[in-house]
Amino acid sequence: MDTEQQSQQTQAGSEFEREPVPKSALLGFKSFIGMYAGEHCAGTELMLGPLFVASGVSAFDLVMGLVVGNALAVLSWMFLCAPIATRTRLTLYYLLEKICGRKLVTLYNLANGVMFCFLAGAMVTVSATAVGVWFNFKMPGLNDLYPNSIGWVVAVAVIGGLIAIVAAYGYQTIAKFANVASPWMVLVFLVFGFVGLGQFIEATGTEISSLGDVWGLAKTQIWKGGAPLAGQVKFTFWHITFFAWFCNMAMHIGMSDLSVFRFARKSWYAVASSAGMYVGHFMAWISASILYAYQLHQDSSNIDVLPGPLAFRAAGLVGLLCVIIAGWTTANPTIYRAGLAFQALAPKSSRFKVTLITGAIATVAGMFPAIAMKLLGFVALYGLILMPMGAVIFVDFWLLRKFGLQSYYAELSGKTFNWAAGLAWFVTLATAWVLVRFAGVQIFFVSLPGWFVAALLYIVLSKFYQKKLRPVVAE
Amino acid sequence: MRPILQIISLLALIALTLPSIIFLTGRLELNMVKWIMLLATVVWFVAATPWMWKDNGADRQDAG
Repeated sequence: MDTEQQSQQTQAGSEFEREPVPKSALLGFKSFIGMYAGEHCAGTELMLGPLFVASGVSAFDLVMGLVVGNALAVLSWMFLCAPIATRTRLTLYYLLEKICGRKLVTLYNLANGVMFCFLAGAMVTVSATAVGVWFNFKMPGLNDLYPNSIGWVVAVAVIGGLIAIVAAYGYQTIAKFANVASPWMVLVFLVFGFVGLGQFIEATGTEISSLGDVWGLAKTQIWKGGAPLAGQVKFTFWHITFFAWFCNMAMHIGMSDLSVFRFARKSWYAVASSAGMYVGHFMAWISASILYAYQLHQDSSNIDVLPGPLAFRAAGLVGLLCVIIAGWTTANPTIYRAGLAFQALAPKSSRFKVTLITGAIATVAGMFPAIAMKLLGFVALYGLILMPMGAVIFVDFWLLRKFGLQSYYAELSGKTFNWAAGLAWFVTLATAWVLVRFAGVQIFFVSLPGWFVAALLYIVLSKFYQKKLRPVVAE
Repeated sequence: MRPILQIISLLALIALTLPSIIFLTGRLELNMVKWIMLLATVVWFVAATPWMWKDNGADRQDAG
């Protein structure tokens, strides 16, 4: 292995890439608590919370939807992802390669890389809104799809460019910095909530003497329900529940976190994901949404969802720093990972150049506010696109042998493209598209039936595919 | 040295959060909250960096 390869492996934190994690490398429960608690307080939380308010969510629907949806996400990590991770102790990519073959994994990598690229773009957008507070240029509005000022384009170009350069040189420094910033960042998010609530109490003159009074304020002033803002989809309890559940779908149901939990001594350690869910996807979303609700309370015509100004009004310079750091520390590894995914398509290309180009694409994407402003839909799409492969892994591991079929078919047959898995993926996505486009099913709900479609398709198609091409080793 | 830095770091986090709770009860101005938070932030990064500067557990990946 040359230095470049070694460096890549170390930087990606992906030891034991093509072998099961040995007992000596297994990690304790605490490691996972810390990992998840810090990981899910990203810059994009500052977009999502406000977008819930813009979608006309009520207090009950938001709080209960988040309680239930996050619980379902934790259960998905515990009962779908972690049991396979602790039994195989392999990375997602190696397991997929055994099941699907190298060429199909490359296609999966491409899809993953493209989604990572756009996601990183949204993170750059979030960071750039903090720069806008300093330089006071025109920033995009809630329904803007295109860049609307030179200042905005320059700010995104500078921030995105810096992130791309740092990611290209290796993201360890930012990863170390993220480690230091993580507890601080979580508490700044909490402060956003306290300050926002305090501002509401002050502005409305509400007397608070019990939790019931706080709930009354929440229902009547903060999350009032009713019609969404123009251009937004109305969010109900079910929208919030499914969004919270599927927001990290690629990681739990999509099995991306096999690579994380292969280090867990026990599969129940996946309960540690609740630290991430109830810190980042409960507290942080609620805090961010209070800030936006307060902005609307002050001026109902100011519907812009701009994390920079929102955070600055609540916490001054610290708020701005939080927006920049939260965006930067998540965009950086995301661009790095997207670069690695693209590099897998052309292994001989320079990682440095590929990461720079990936960063440039993410930066251009970040200039278009459409992704950040439509983040609710984009996050749902991201989970949907990668979900069918999670269903394929689940079926391959637990069910296929019960139907008299071979698990790890690509490895056994020497195939580089398992058509049963590939078609299960493509047909599921096509079915989801038809449901969304022609049957009026919203994208937030389509992944649930989609999982069953993918699972069923993989079994049926494998029945035909494996009959035709019996694996040499299995005979 | 490490335990002292850890105690200072913890105090910085308390100083970061506590003013906002006092603001919530109506006993502190928001401007003062912001200044204390800024000071606490500086103290946190100065005190926590020497003992937390490591790369494990910081591989931040989140869709939402």
